[in-house]
Amino acid sequence: MDMIGIAIKITILIAYAIIGTCTGLLFMGIGRKIVARVHNRVGPPFYQNFIDVAKLLSKKTNISHGWIFDLALLFSISGILLTLLFLPIGGVQLLSTDGDAFLVLYLLAIPSLGFALGAGASGNPNAGVGVMRALVMMLSYELPFVITLIALMIYYDTTSLATIVRMQSINGIKSWAITMPPFMIAAFAADMALQGMLMEQPFDIPVAPHEIASGPMVEFGGKYLGSLMLYKAIALVAETTLFVDLFLGGGVVAHGNFAFVINFIVWLALIFLLFALSILIAASFPRFRIEQAFGFYWKYEAIIAAISLIWVYIMVIK
Amino acid sequence: MGLHNGDKMMRYEEWSKLARKASKRSLWMVHFCTGCGAIEMPPVMTSRYDMERFGIAPMATPRQADVLLITGYLTVKTLRRVIQVYEQMQSPKYVIAFGSCTINGGMYWDSYNTIKHLEKYIPVDLYIAGCMPRPEGIINAFLELMKLIDEGKARGWERYQKYYDKYKENQRRVFNFEVKEEEKEEKEQKREKNEEH
Amino acid sequence: MKSIELLGKGEEMHGRAYIKLSADEIEESIKKLKENGFNHFVMLSCVDWLDKGKFELVYHMWNYEEKEHAMLSVDIDRNNDVMKSMSHLFPQIETYEREIHEMYGIKFEGNNRLTPFLLENWPHDPPMRKDFDSKKFVKQMYESIPFIEGDENEGI
Repeated sequence: MDMIGIAIKITILIAYAIIGTCTGLLFMGIGRKIVARVHNRVGPPFYQNFIDVAKLLSKKTNISHGWIFDLALLFSISGILLTLLFLPIGGVQLLSTDGDAFLVLYLLAIPSLGFALGAGASGNPNAGVGVMRALVMMLSYELPFVITLIALMIYYDTTSLATIVRMQSINGIKSWAITMPPFMIAAFAADMALQGMLMEQPFDIPVAPHEIASGPMVEFGGKYLGSLMLYKAIALVAETTLFVDLFLGGGVVAHGNFAFVINFIVWLALIFLLFALSILIAASFPRFRIEQAFGFYWKYEAIIAAISLIWVYIMVIK
Repeated sequence: MGLHNGDKMMRYEEWSKLARKASKRSLWMVHFCTGCGAIEMPPVMTSRYDMERFGIAPMATPRQADVLLITGYLTVKTLRRVIQVYEQMQSPKYVIAFGSCTINGGMYWDSYNTIKHLEKYIPVDLYIAGCMPRPEGIINAFLELMKLIDEGKARGWERYQKYYDKYKENQRRVFNFEVKEEEKEEKEQKREKNEEH
Repeated sequence: MKSIELLGKGEEMHGRAYIKLSADEIEESIKKLKENGFNHFVMLSCVDWLDKGKFELVYHMWNYEEKEHAMLSVDIDRNNDVMKSMSHLFPQIETYEREIHEMYGIKFEGNNRLTPFLLENWPHDPPMRKDFDSKKFVKQMYESIPFIEGDENEGI
């Protein structure tokens, strides 16, 4: 591999990190505005989250709880950045291997583990409770999500995300997975799992501010909290992109020389729609208890996902 | 780096001005409502007065917060907790004291158990006078605090660092530590007497 | 009223029974009322009568069937402020006795939990006694603490 190729990849990586962060922060700001309008409030300006991050990064004292506490944040941010590299964005995928659909699932677990490390190092009991809840939540939403992923893999006969996206973009919107009846059901299950991944309202059990004082983040302040907000912004983009890649053809609608620009805009619009949907759900539902969320995912969502899996299997056999 | 010291100072000044600009539009608040006045907070946070439009948001823990809002009277017992919360916050940090009781004791001016002047124990950036101040008063105080931050005048946290010994001395006096030590000595003397018998 | 009939003395005040008892009678009376439907012990309160030189302890009890409020009042000497603990009759009396011990200094014999309760590091006289000079105490305790000097807007 030549040096120029590596240099280009590094440049694109930095560009991805910046685009991911800016998009995420912008979406979070717009999300706050949407919630405010639902509550019949004026709400903060859409650029509020940029100000928040700037303020947090300019704090004068930053209390650390040991080197594990410092490293945990790097762990989370690098994990989510790596995930972003493996996801096709507007049809372009920077890194790819065979079976990267599985790999992404594993990579998405890294930030949660990073969280667990940092929270454990802080030694706050609220953080411990929050981490336990976060891991239980992960266990809950992964089951329906994995079942829908297997259904997709069986139908397209591949474990590569790039292939799934390419197969869905042959005929434009008509060939998106979500247009087929079994995948409509699967998409519902996956969207609910996405709600859990984003930790939005019915499933914001791990960070419940009124119960456990914002859970794993309880000891984070200053620059640490600022980095955490950056991580959250990138995570928002990565998780919605995963859904778009699996069910909405990765936003690929055009082919040709300058198709990337159009595809990129379509991708941006699609992840925004997904995020807006999740924010609207969040604004209108109260919080589940942990066993309710667990029951919801393992009873109803898993059954819905299993129905779509069986349906797909029958279709493939015929 | 080839920069003169003056240039460095200039650059630092510009950065801190920028940081103050960001910090004034994003005041995260932890509210300490053990006295009265907690009931004035819900209208300020919710749709009637909506403080989120100024970037003010309630936070769950002192580590994440910039502003400590103390409502109503403080007893000696709650003052100890206020100081713990204040010292856990990360500077730059600001204190808003709400209601007459924090200014001079208010209607508890002759009470045996409430502290009278909050600023003897922690630095207060802004007072809201009244019993009770209305939600408009709170919003107005936050706007005033934003103005002070912008002008670089809200420097209570620097005062606390500078006069740390004096603040600690005052806190120790109100918590009766000396008397407690004397009591311990007395108890020890009594114990010795009992052993002698 | 039922409690007056049961104990054979007392008078009706504003729809409540007010029964004056001596310190020896109080245990028997509470027991008797408890057995006859007064199964809610509302509270134990204390009044300091400085000019009469005595403390008045009032045991408030409530009967749900009759909807009747009985106040059993006991006077104890201000200079010999010792009372028998009633916490074996109703467990919640223990907490009220702790509070009264802290605020008035009355000692309750038989209560083992007369530890500091609401006040923090309190080495002075009990503050709710009428001879406790609150204004003088505030002057000594709070007003003597100096303000921190220096300019308001002063930084480092």
